[in-house]
Amino acid sequence: MARADTLARARTLDRPELAYLLRFPTADGMRDLELTWAELARDTEWVTARLREHGLAAGQRALLTASGFEGFWGHAVIGALRALKVPYGIAEAMGWDHRRTAVFHRELTPHAVIGLSAETLGGLAGAADIGEMFRSTPLVLARPAAVPLLRGVGVTAFVISAVGPALALECPERSGAHVNAAEWRFGERDGQLTVAAGEGRTSPLPETPLGITGRVVVGRCGCGSDNPRVLLAEAN
Amino acid sequence: MVGDRDTADRYFEPQVETMPRQELRARQEKQLLELVEYAYANSAFYRELWDEHGAHPRDIQSIEDFRARIPFITKDMIRAYRSRTGDPFAGLLCVPVEELTSVSSSSGTTGDPEFFAEIWQDAPPLVTAQVRDLWELGLRPGDRVLSPPGTFRNFMDAGFQALGAVVIEVDTWMGNMPEVVEALRTYRPAYLQMMYPQMVELEHLAEKTDLREAFSSLKGASCAGQPLSRKMRERIRDDWGIDVYEYTSAADTGTAWECREHDGFHLWEDTVFAECVEVDEHGWHDVPESDVGELVATDLDNRAAPLIRYRSEDLVRLSRDTCGCGRTHARMWVAGRSGDETVVQGRSVVLRDVWQAVEDQPETVAGVFQIVRDRREVDELRLRVGYDPHLTGDVDALAGRLSEAVRERTGVKPVLDMRTEEDLLKTMTSVAKFPRVVKT
Repeated sequence: MARADTLARARTLDRPELAYLLRFPTADGMRDLELTWAELARDTEWVTARLREHGLAAGQRALLTASGFEGFWGHAVIGALRALKVPYGIAEAMGWDHRRTAVFHRELTPHAVIGLSAETLGGLAGAADIGEMFRSTPLVLARPAAVPLLRGVGVTAFVISAVGPALALECPERSGAHVNAAEWRFGERDGQLTVAAGEGRTSPLPETPLGITGRVVVGRCGCGSDNPRVLLAEAN
Repeated sequence: MVGDRDTADRYFEPQVETMPRQELRARQEKQLLELVEYAYANSAFYRELWDEHGAHPRDIQSIEDFRARIPFITKDMIRAYRSRTGDPFAGLLCVPVEELTSVSSSSGTTGDPEFFAEIWQDAPPLVTAQVRDLWELGLRPGDRVLSPPGTFRNFMDAGFQALGAVVIEVDTWMGNMPEVVEALRTYRPAYLQMMYPQMVELEHLAEKTDLREAFSSLKGASCAGQPLSRKMRERIRDDWGIDVYEYTSAADTGTAWECREHDGFHLWEDTVFAECVEVDEHGWHDVPESDVGELVATDLDNRAAPLIRYRSEDLVRLSRDTCGCGRTHARMWVAGRSGDETVVQGRSVVLRDVWQAVEDQPETVAGVFQIVRDRREVDELRLRVGYDPHLTGDVDALAGRLSEAVRERTGVKPVLDMRTEEDLLKTMTSVAKFPRVVKT
């Protein structure tokens, strides 16, 4: 197998601990953060547990819509889908690629659509009934701006969102998107979310205002998790 | 200097990349015979087709048998099977869906996107087949790479990371070139994947930005989706100082890249069996190496849904001579797509001629244009052309000059629909492909 041999050779290289250098928007402009392989592995494990809570399991299929610069969370989601043995189709999150989303959705009948964007919905709306299309999809994890559009047409959409360097993912209780408390410290200041890196992260990040309007809810969720939840204004 | 780098360590897998052709052919033969058995046993599409043609694996004992007995397949045949059976994978799938890792798809510029079923471990198949090319370009562990604009056929990051490169997450899609330039200056990446719309946008920045300085950290940049025009290539290489590596599709089995010699696209023949043929109503025959024919490809490294003798519609010239880089795998030069020729009142018009006429006007130098037609033979040549509004004072005057330039090149006076470049590029339905021939 040619590709397997290529990757076997690649595994002999002296590769760095670092996988990504992440740039994310804050209230004061763009900021950098390093992301190591060890951190990616932990993020993947966390996302796997969240998707498992949603009932995603072997024998089902998923559709992931993302952009090329979203690998830092895309990696964790793909890793989770692989761990759960859920094959996934992939389309761009940009509006002009809506046709690919439509074809994947029609042909693969995914159990889960992950990362659905308002731009994709905007593109689809011209040729399809969004409600009819997604009401039959058991799990729709949508970006914040897409959530009200979906809920408005009767789709039980859950929030998935990059919140600064972290991924927030709503559980089946649908009462805010969980963030991983073992990795990140979320807070709010003047109605805006802040984030700081947890002690285990390689790249230090002091409390940083994100310029995202929202609230943080602490305390045990109905799903049993003690991870805090972020309530994003854009998603409501 | 562009391209001036140490070549001592240029092969990622030297034994494979420089394998004597005789060995390569023996390896291909073994792979093909295994493939035929495997596909017949596991693919409903191939079993049905080959039965219809009286082709059975027991009769295929050599490359010659394979080529003589296994029929070609086309995109239309795959679509017809899908339409008839309702199977989204058109009977090509050789494993249960549950065994797949992922499903990516083609750009879908000529219809619904075609699915590509994928099984992988460390990195998706498309980018894995590019690892050798990226190594040749100079990418090494610890280097930085700007994230590509789209997910293409799956995220490409894992391929870069397989080589130990660190991916810098920057939105490099259309409209973000000032941020890309800032990121280039800040992070000094070694590699950047570029697409046609990005280059058009960079061209607009060139007057007020020192792009040569911004790009100076790059060991190379790649460009795919459609061929670069001569002018654009010179601009990127000579003015911006980028060693640009074009790559193209290896008939949907992978990709084919230029090496540092920039003399043709290398096919990795341990992953694809390539034929260059001419097909007509009487049958088919090989074209001589100096002539243009249609690329027919067979997946040699795809257990999920291999394409076998797939007619790509890509018109290429194929050479199996050893390249100046020392690699023995075949190279191809792309002449165009069959079907891209337009016949206007009996006169043949090819894209290249229109392209040159468009590029010759300063306001349309980026070469953003489309031929609009609902069939190959038409009464008038309808052209949609994108212009740079910052360089265009009088659109009507530009249209007049352009019309005359097209007439001189093609012998046909076009009907022009002038748009801004931005408007026209917004009609793209793929990260990689700007369609040159459209129906509406």
